[in-house]
Amino acid sequence: MALSKDIYKAFEDVVGAENICDDPVIMPAYHSAELGAVILPKNTAEVQAIVKLCNKYKLQFRAVCTGWTGMFPKGIIYLDMRRMNHIVEINEKNMYAVVEPYVISAQLQAELMKRGLHLNMKGAGANCSAMLRGHGHLDQTTSGDDRNQLAIEWVTPEGDIVRLGSLGSSDEWFCGDGPGPSLRSLINSAVPPGVTPGVFTKSAVKLYHWPGPPSFPIEGESPLYTMSEIPANMMVRYFSFPSVEKMWEAELKIGESEISFELMGFNVSMVAANITTSNEEETEVFERLNKAVQGPGFMVIIAGNSPEDFEYKKRVLQQIVSDADGKSLEAVEDPRIEGILLCQCIRISASIRETFRNGGAFNSIPIMGQRDLTIKWAIGAGKAKEPLIEKGLIVDDGGAFFGWGVEQGHLGKTEIFCKFDPSNLEAKAAVEGWQKEQSTRAFKERYFANLLMGQTEEIGPALSNYHLWWQKFTEAIDPNGVSPGGGALV
Amino acid sequence: MALEDYRGDMEMCCRCSACKFIPMQRVKGLQYANVCPSIAKYNYHAYSGGGRLNIAAAMLKNGFNYTDKLLDIVYNCQMCGACGVSCNYAMDMEVLEPINEFRLKCVEDGQTNPALEKVINSLRKQGTMITGARGKRGDWAAGLNLKDATKEKVDVLYHAGCLTSYDKDMQKLAKATVKILQKAGVNFGIAGNAETCCGGRAYQMGYKEDFLNQAKKNMAMIKKAGIKTVVTGCADGYQAFKVLYDKYDLKGDLEVLHISEYIDKLIKDGKLKPRKKVDISVTYHDPCRLGRLGEPWIHWEGKKVPGDRFVFDPPKVYRRGTHGVYEPPRDVLKSIPGIKLTEMTRIKEYSWCCGAGGGVNESNPGFAKWTAQERIEEAGSTGAEAIVTACPWCEKNFSETIKESGGSLKVYDIVELVEKAI
Repeated sequence: MALSKDIYKAFEDVVGAENICDDPVIMPAYHSAELGAVILPKNTAEVQAIVKLCNKYKLQFRAVCTGWTGMFPKGIIYLDMRRMNHIVEINEKNMYAVVEPYVISAQLQAELMKRGLHLNMKGAGANCSAMLRGHGHLDQTTSGDDRNQLAIEWVTPEGDIVRLGSLGSSDEWFCGDGPGPSLRSLINSAVPPGVTPGVFTKSAVKLYHWPGPPSFPIEGESPLYTMSEIPANMMVRYFSFPSVEKMWEAELKIGESEISFELMGFNVSMVAANITTSNEEETEVFERLNKAVQGPGFMVIIAGNSPEDFEYKKRVLQQIVSDADGKSLEAVEDPRIEGILLCQCIRISASIRETFRNGGAFNSIPIMGQRDLTIKWAIGAGKAKEPLIEKGLIVDDGGAFFGWGVEQGHLGKTEIFCKFDPSNLEAKAAVEGWQKEQSTRAFKERYFANLLMGQTEEIGPALSNYHLWWQKFTEAIDPNGVSPGGGALV
Repeated sequence: MALEDYRGDMEMCCRCSACKFIPMQRVKGLQYANVCPSIAKYNYHAYSGGGRLNIAAAMLKNGFNYTDKLLDIVYNCQMCGACGVSCNYAMDMEVLEPINEFRLKCVEDGQTNPALEKVINSLRKQGTMITGARGKRGDWAAGLNLKDATKEKVDVLYHAGCLTSYDKDMQKLAKATVKILQKAGVNFGIAGNAETCCGGRAYQMGYKEDFLNQAKKNMAMIKKAGIKTVVTGCADGYQAFKVLYDKYDLKGDLEVLHISEYIDKLIKDGKLKPRKKVDISVTYHDPCRLGRLGEPWIHWEGKKVPGDRFVFDPPKVYRRGTHGVYEPPRDVLKSIPGIKLTEMTRIKEYSWCCGAGGGVNESNPGFAKWTAQERIEEAGSTGAEAIVTACPWCEKNFSETIKESGGSLKVYDIVELVEKAI
């Protein structure tokens, strides 16, 4: 859906001719959407000017970084944030980094490791924006999305620049809540529509201590990278348990004792995906590992600040696992596998092999909530996958779910997905049916309400009528309706 | 295989953008994380490996609509294959092959680039990719009294290649090679005026038939002369003889070695001893077609197994860029007394391209130099005095870019340093 010449020219005047394109030929690369145009802003001023033009001409817009996916209504203006790729500041003393949207997590992480610092890597992968809001493998120790974004520079849907948190009253980025305006509850919506209206143009990311080396000693060639040696005071183990209850008990104690660097509630199919280099190998390794585990499990990375600290953490871990009748998966004790998992789960953040390699697509139901409660729901969702597995419509992962505790406690992230071949329409329909059915069940049985259900009159009243407040909020900040819900800045 | 045969691979693209960057665990910081020159320069996702697959898949589905923008996307790609290496770290799918097939289809459909047409015309008329080439191909060897491999029995045929043969600034590489081979006592010869273009660069530009013509001419000459081993001085020549000829079942049992591999072998066999000190700090640039694209071709034919996974019967072994020639040139450099080798961030299978491949050198010299400049800066960041490569096209592009930008980095082909050391 082409823009008129005048409107195109108005955008072109902002970014220059090279940085706007509405040629239909590029659209398949942009989610095959019928976009009004793709625009590549280089700074906040350009984003602001673009957004103001969108308001003037009543055009919807959406900003996207590396861009896994998203929903793109016909004619929408696509802000490809590629040119905004600077690390503005790494403040070691106050432990935050300020980044533009197209700095990917792998880049920021590498810079931070040199400085003895780290960030919450998102499960979406190191290939995504470092300022991405979301959850990841480090959530147990670093918390999740809304805790890790500090001050933010935000271009509102009307094109105003709002400096949130401490940035609102100073030039400092250290806090998301003030002194200055805090809109944390609004800009970090975990309920539908799940995306903040407008564009984040810079964000401070909270940093954490990194007990590991300045860089990992990688050796080998792609796709067989591993480490020449396991860094001092680091260890990876996978434990399986006789029951979900036992697993949950151990997970909670590990959180309470604050001994893990990372606790990732992998199922063994995800371990297999991460340590193998092809689909054929993955199938074989999954079958082998699945026989070696006694039930559900998780992967733990221990990282000591000193040999003594490391020894202490290992002993506490051993005690907790032993008390819960846990069993270490021998294959992961092999230093070569340990090295691969350290790379995959700290640096890569795992996701591509786990999710896309098998069939090319996956549909997921992610949940934040009381971990033991969401696990109960996930067991049912896993069982509901079994008929699809039997029919060969989805990849056999044992019907498993995954997840982890957040902030060392009961709060947690639980997720379950189906991997399938999207060209198989029967499989696609079956997976979508499963997703809808299990989301509906989750709400009806009062486990949670998730984004898939959208904002409905049914969900809203169960959640303090939040949907009415959200509607008022969006009407107030987006009177022209140019910043649609759905999708995410990835 | 045709573009249609890669439909499944193209549809596997999950748009993760891994194809834009070096493998994630190899990222060392904000700088030098990009791996694809095309997306790095032109920014639109359409210029990335994944974007190219998305477009090709859409055109397979909806029909081919050739526009100026499409051809701009198609031809502004060095076909360096880095996108595929980064993708194939995690995914089982072909990336460069469908991109290549798309370009072949463009040429087949007459959707060519005028600058590349000119080069191909030169190939058709003069048997060389060097437009306006003067003199004869074998002139560089005048007075050297080398054996004519087409007439005399030799153990090794040295294939100098187009650029080294015709470009007066590059002929030094052929002469250095001759000196090295003579010093090692190798029974070698050249084809002289009978040598013809390997066809590799024509293939990169999308001209499959012209490539096949060249390949057949070369293999006919080689078979007639009874040659068992070819040593190429150029990475493009190496990939053509070793990989592409094999892909099209033309190679037979011909042994193909790049000069850096051959020198490494001569040194390790004790036939060549670099004794003279060459005091210089260097960094090594892996040419794409010696490195990731130089790994052997794997013949495979099979069908997708129906079901939930992208797997085949028989299982498909992917070429992920890992079996290229990486260590021999490094070992040669390390064997030269006085040389201090420091590595860049982007090396081996995830090396940054010099910019000269895929016809970009001819169709968009500005982009070729932009790409080279990025590499020159990366080389400079190591503190090295010189960047060493193993391909005349890389050397030429680097040298011209440094000359234009006024930089001080020196550029050498590996044979120049070996020549100094013997």
